[in-house]
Amino acid sequence: MNYELIALLMFSLMMLMLLTGQRVFGAIGFVATLCALLLWGEGGMEIPFSASFKLLNWYPLLTLPLFIFMGYMLSESGLASDLYRMFHVWAGPVKGGLAIGTIGLMVAISAMNGLSVAGMAIGASIALPEMLRRGYDKVMVTGVIQAGSSLGILVPPSVVLVLYGMIARQPVGQLWLAGVFPGLMLAGLFITYIAIRCALQPKLGPPLPKEERQISLEEKIKLLQAGILPFLIFFSMTGLFLLGITSLVESSAVGAVTATIAAGLKGRWSKKLFEDTTRKTLAISCMFMWIILAALCFGAVFDGLGAVHAIESLFLQQWELSPWEILIMMQLSYLLLGMFLDDTAMLIIVAPLYVPLVISLGFDPIWYGVLYTITCQIAYMTPPFGYNLFLMRAMAPKEITLTDIYRSIFPFVLVMILGLALVMIFPEIALWLPQWHYGQ
Amino acid sequence: MPKAVTVYVKWIDAFNRRVGRIAMLLIYAMMAVLLFSSITRTFFDTSFIWIVEMAQFILAAYYMLGGAYSVQLDSHVRMDLLYGRWSHKRQATMDAITCCFLIFYLVFLLAGGVSSTEYALEYGQKNYSTWAPPLAPIKIIMTFGIFLMLLQAISVFFKDFALARGKAIQ
Repeated sequence: MNYELIALLMFSLMMLMLLTGQRVFGAIGFVATLCALLLWGEGGMEIPFSASFKLLNWYPLLTLPLFIFMGYMLSESGLASDLYRMFHVWAGPVKGGLAIGTIGLMVAISAMNGLSVAGMAIGASIALPEMLRRGYDKVMVTGVIQAGSSLGILVPPSVVLVLYGMIARQPVGQLWLAGVFPGLMLAGLFITYIAIRCALQPKLGPPLPKEERQISLEEKIKLLQAGILPFLIFFSMTGLFLLGITSLVESSAVGAVTATIAAGLKGRWSKKLFEDTTRKTLAISCMFMWIILAALCFGAVFDGLGAVHAIESLFLQQWELSPWEILIMMQLSYLLLGMFLDDTAMLIIVAPLYVPLVISLGFDPIWYGVLYTITCQIAYMTPPFGYNLFLMRAMAPKEITLTDIYRSIFPFVLVMILGLALVMIFPEIALWLPQWHYGQ
Repeated sequence: MPKAVTVYVKWIDAFNRRVGRIAMLLIYAMMAVLLFSSITRTFFDTSFIWIVEMAQFILAAYYMLGGAYSVQLDSHVRMDLLYGRWSHKRQATMDAITCCFLIFYLVFLLAGGVSSTEYALEYGQKNYSTWAPPLAPIKIIMTFGIFLMLLQAISVFFKDFALARGKAIQ
């Protein structure tokens, strides 16, 4: 049997195992171990553990639990309610204004945290009920929160870009900076979409009623103070890192501590806060880490099969694709796999196969990291398998059905694909800032 | 279910919970180590060679020792395309079957861990770094964590099996 067929079988077996509904890490780990044993007999026995041990050399992974901790801290700190109030008052009078303000809120939260979980939690608990109460269309609102919170992994700091940086061996600082403008551009595209849609169909997002708009300018300016603390958190973390004062992992620790202090300043410290944050951080970190462990094992088997060369020869020699066609094929395959496969596992398994190919084709790996992340954002939202979908289902109020959630993401996914295409056609959107910062 | 099984489930769950509750505090240890390193470097211009690896070792202990507790908290995602539509009983039946696959993975993970730890102990294996700490301690911790995860998976299997037969274990 040739290697390509084995690789294909492995993937099919993994899909099948995932469909049984067993925990993702168990399903992937089982297939990897089984294949290792079948291929290499007793020698394959060591693969699961030795692949796991590789994690010890992935120093930047320390940012993962710290960002998760920080995300929970932020969502409990009450910072977000003040921020929301600010956007609410400033953007409210426009048609669809609250949805536009929510995107603004999500960008602010994305700049403070590297995962989409925090944005999701804050969006679902603060912005969602407010918008529903004011007669916003529930499908629209759900889409706004999912799309907005997905910016968390593109706008720096970003855990996905940290993972990508480890696999592709690229500097995280450059990757983060490369995410800034594509992230803002996507936010801009979302806002444009909301504004146009609500202008055409005012029923979807009515402006705030007159009586709620009677707020003096003085008071409005006072509300802007809500932005001070988030900015300090952003600066203490991403700012100090980009200035070269703290290292990457140190900056995530500083961020976690600042968020904790911010919660204290807001008078939110309680036994329950620390208990919940600590426990949930462990739960989510373990989920991610065990998936990474299993995926590393799977990747090691794949690597042993020589899958990198197999893919290269498939694209270049058998299909005779041009570099751009290969790039588009890769993004399409990510999107397709991302629908069915866990996204973290996908990154660990597929990125090592694609990144060498991307570099050998002469593309910029930093730019590709941004493309990859946007694709990941889309994969997070597309059914049947996506973290944001899971979270949305768990957090949404009862009146929002599963069908609503599935329907809601559709226009936003189209907007994101447009954004992805723009970054592909104009790499400068991503690359200008890192080149400017590091070129000085 | 035989009494032995009930006792096993009760004891293992209680023990893993205890270990996990302690392991979850390690997040503060990670923060402390990293904060210490950034403060000493920025203000006192000294850096320590052990910090990077120490933080990594704490992280490894964190998710290995906390793994079993995280299973108890039911925090591991599943693909619920089909699973989500089944009845509880059907879910439990399927879980009882597929849990054996999970156990299969963990057994080999454990076997690899044991042999790797034996090697580290026998030859006094050290990390390739300037600090060059011995690797045996962290390997022992990781292997112990995997062992706890295996015990937890077996406990989960018993619970699913009981549920599939319609008699849940309390």
